[in-house]
Amino acid sequence: MERIKEIRTRVELKEHGLENVHSTDFPGSYDGYDDTWSQEKFEKNFKVEIGRLTADELEFDMIGIDAAIANAFRRILLAEVPTMAIEKVHIYNNTSIIQDEVLAHRLGLIPIKADPRMFEYKQDAEAEPTDTDTIQFELKVKCTRNTHVKDATDPDDLYKNHKVMTSHMKWIPIGNQAQIFKEGEIRPVIDDILIAKLRPGQELDLKLFCVKGIGQDHAKFSPVATASYRLLPEITLLKPVTGKLAHKLKNCFTPGVIEIDNVNGESKARVAHPRKDTCSREVFRHDDLKDLVKLTRVRDHFIFSVESTGILPPEVLVSQAIQVLIAKVREVKRELDVYK
Amino acid sequence: MNAPPTFESFLLFEGEKKIQIEKDTKVPNAAIFTINKEDHTLGNMICTQLRKDPQVLFTGYKNPHPLEHKIVLRIQTTSDYIPQDALTNAITDLISEVSLMEERFREAVRERQEGDI
Repeated sequence: MERIKEIRTRVELKEHGLENVHSTDFPGSYDGYDDTWSQEKFEKNFKVEIGRLTADELEFDMIGIDAAIANAFRRILLAEVPTMAIEKVHIYNNTSIIQDEVLAHRLGLIPIKADPRMFEYKQDAEAEPTDTDTIQFELKVKCTRNTHVKDATDPDDLYKNHKVMTSHMKWIPIGNQAQIFKEGEIRPVIDDILIAKLRPGQELDLKLFCVKGIGQDHAKFSPVATASYRLLPEITLLKPVTGKLAHKLKNCFTPGVIEIDNVNGESKARVAHPRKDTCSREVFRHDDLKDLVKLTRVRDHFIFSVESTGILPPEVLVSQAIQVLIAKVREVKRELDVYK
Repeated sequence: MNAPPTFESFLLFEGEKKIQIEKDTKVPNAAIFTINKEDHTLGNMICTQLRKDPQVLFTGYKNPHPLEHKIVLRIQTTSDYIPQDALTNAITDLISEVSLMEERFREAVRERQEGDI
């Protein structure tokens, strides 16, 4: 019985691979278990715990869900939460050494700080841009020689404007955008991204057009730098580990995972923070240690980590992802009801 | 250029249906659902949810080709149940599940942000 419980709830890490990777908690799999889905059971088991929340990073735990749902969230965060990104570049003049198409691609990848919820998708790519679907920027930079400096070798002293940065991008409001958005609400997220390098006489004269899109279409629309999840590691000491062996065990794991206690003058290993473990399985390389520990991961405990590009705060991204998921499921339900 | 249209992966073409239902002629109580403009995100989720239903005997899905934006879902049920109802129930359960997650997540974030002040 204990073993069945373990198979159901834990992924096992063995020396040469993983065991019980798949969810098996479905009706018919096990005698004596009722795995039929029920709302009460889910409400009882499901938990969200926020770990770390900063301006652009969020770590939180989702406990009591299946990998399919966790993965749906991850996939939606990466590819289906909309943002604004540069889609079209009008090049009036480009005498720099960076080619037009390479420059346009570089510009496309710049994260643009603008709330995508305030904009519509541009349905027709050829249509005239309007204030509801497009943001316009201007990039007009000309490099000149700095005449005041003599005998300098540093390009920073020799030339003016020789580095084209995102701070050179100037927002040109379309229609009544100037009334809707305040100054500074629409700009590149980071001001010191290097776009191109120029030399005296070279210049850039560009108009940049940002539209709303999703990561499925192009990775530049992805709102996250990374969005990933891992299962909560769990380390069980099968026998007491003492003395020299305890120190050896400690060194097999990420610092902080195993702590050494002093019990009656003898050092004894204790699992302190299994969460910090990277699950490297180093411990299985040592013959004297490998039978003393058991490494598992909790199958329904997901540790999400979401790192935003800075366009939207990470907690907003996750709730947006949930909204997108609800909308997707609702659409299928609505269409299915038509067949009734 | 040869780039595929921007909205091809998530907007239905003119006249295209979101869901097509096809009865399996060889096996009783089985049907094949073709859901357009969806991928593994929803496919795997619906499939896993259907497996939680004891009256569903078989369920599986595939994305026939990565450039065709659709999934094909096959469901077989017991004789006193029909695949369409199984799918409707699974989706209804998913909606309540995800709604609860939204509520709990929002609560957790609010608690954290109020705690910081």
